[in-house]
Amino acid sequence: MTTMQRELRLSLNQTQRVRLQSALQQLEEMTSLASAITVVADTIPVNHEDSILKGHGTSDLNGEVVATLCGVVERVNKLVYVRAQRARYKPEVGDIIVGRVIEVAPKRWRLEINFSQDAVLMLSSMNLPDGLQRRRTAVDELNMRSIFVENDVICAEVRGFQHDGSLHLQARSQKYGKLERGMLLTVPAYLVKRRKQHFHHLENYGVDLILGSNGFIWVGEHVDMNGENHILADQVSREDMADKSCVGQVTQEVHERITPLEIRTHICRVANSVRVLSALGFNLTVEVIVDTVEASISLNTDIKDILAAEFYVQTAEREVQRRVSLSRKKG
Amino acid sequence: MVGLSAGEKHFIYGGIAQDLRTDGRQRLHYRPISVEIGVIPQANGSSRVRLGATDVIVSIKAELGRPSSLHPDKGKVAIFIDCSPTAAPMFEGRGGEELSSELSLALQRCLLGGRSGAGAGIDLSSLVIVEGKVCWDLYIDGLVVSSDGNLLDALAAAIKVALCNTGIPKTTVNLGASPNDQPDVDVSDEEFLQFDTSGVPVIVTLTKVGRHYIVDATSEEESQMSSAVSISVNRHGQICGLTKRGGAGLDPSVILDMISVAKHVGEQLMSSLDSEIAAAEASAEDQ
Repeated sequence: MTTMQRELRLSLNQTQRVRLQSALQQLEEMTSLASAITVVADTIPVNHEDSILKGHGTSDLNGEVVATLCGVVERVNKLVYVRAQRARYKPEVGDIIVGRVIEVAPKRWRLEINFSQDAVLMLSSMNLPDGLQRRRTAVDELNMRSIFVENDVICAEVRGFQHDGSLHLQARSQKYGKLERGMLLTVPAYLVKRRKQHFHHLENYGVDLILGSNGFIWVGEHVDMNGENHILADQVSREDMADKSCVGQVTQEVHERITPLEIRTHICRVANSVRVLSALGFNLTVEVIVDTVEASISLNTDIKDILAAEFYVQTAEREVQRRVSLSRKKG
Repeated sequence: MVGLSAGEKHFIYGGIAQDLRTDGRQRLHYRPISVEIGVIPQANGSSRVRLGATDVIVSIKAELGRPSSLHPDKGKVAIFIDCSPTAAPMFEGRGGEELSSELSLALQRCLLGGRSGAGAGIDLSSLVIVEGKVCWDLYIDGLVVSSDGNLLDALAAAIKVALCNTGIPKTTVNLGASPNDQPDVDVSDEEFLQFDTSGVPVIVTLTKVGRHYIVDATSEEESQMSSAVSISVNRHGQICGLTKRGGAGLDPSVILDMISVAKHVGEQLMSSLDSEIAAAEASAEDQ
């Protein structure tokens, strides 16, 4: 408990501490995995079968299989391995990820995606802004910076590992691409589970929420995915850049494109809800995030107070109630 | 260094202009501050202050020394700040030295007053044991464990908290026979004197981003700043020091405006710090 509190960096008063403690206790009791959880040096019972395969996170010690990682024991046929908690993101083909461009290289962009190596997005594996299917020419290669430049936040899909072990991405649809007007949040990757849908448009709030499997979460103003609009916006922004170089009207244009205050309040509210949930270590699904946002509105919590002690405790208690009602439905 | 895309930069600018920053704060709001005391048992006083994701530790060590011949009636205080490589990869090796010395210098200016020690936030004359012969040397060492902007404010707050936590050992002096002898000083290891910290100021840094200025900038916001003014304010609302960073110029009228804002914000910071110190002391007694 004290470690939890230290991690949360909260100053709780006496009642808040008791409430949070009891909520977390209940959550702990509800998890059925307790038996399969190991810490370092725990013995993993294998019934002394002869042909067991020791996988990742296990080691042989005096004829016993011992865990070398903290995590959950997984068994696949004869293979026994430990799936580590708090590990780095491990990409799987088809994952939707959010990343940041760190380098523009010949025919490719290099992206930081919270993996042990950088991902590669080839120019040939993304749709060009003009929407045409054609061979990439040398001119396209020279114009790469008009698509993405360093530090841009983009969203893409994991295409697969190449033979040399490098990770390749693709962005072959209008929904992938550059993300603007919003903010990037970083959470532990294990909090985002793989689901059918990672792009969410919260219609009530006019907010786009992209839950990248790599733990990068984008919260931003809603962008119309309508193809033509997208390209138009792209052109406008390029013209914008041209304008900026020749001075004049810059401030005016900047003001025109500014995020409206109402949507900004929603973005901040969603972002802070994500921060609370990730600090408490709860899985991030769109339902839970929207629940938290709605609760903060109905409780009249100020946006910045979402990160204060009282709302943390309330969020933990709400999670308990949610799981209780879930288990009732199941049982 | 934080790399931000044009879209994110624009979003931060817009948020500051609309008085709603990315974490929901307004321009003149601090992040929640949390305080721990007595984190280093060997030191005379120590503290750990967290301001959002910024995390600093300060320890204070008192040693017997000789006052300088120019100012025989004053003790000596030295401030050193170190940036840990755990805070950012760029602090590895000698990378943090520039920032460390900049922070040390700013804190010395704000807390220690002029070269003669006049007007210091820390009462230097209370450190003297025998005038001209023996005094206490205070070594204030700060460590930046994690950096998410606004290091100077966090360090100044941590120094203030650590000074509140500092006990200076009680001394008994046996003067030698002749006045030129070095006197014998007996240091008690049981009785400690509390340090008078009422005059120690807090630092409020106002960071100018675009047309507006904000307090307690995160590192993302700091990467967009044009200039920043750090103002140290004491309990009476007086300005004890002022440093400016960043190359861009400021209109003098803006600085005057900033000072009055800093005075107001400083009062709030001081009172929230006081209540946090009281809470930290209470929880330290519980354990």
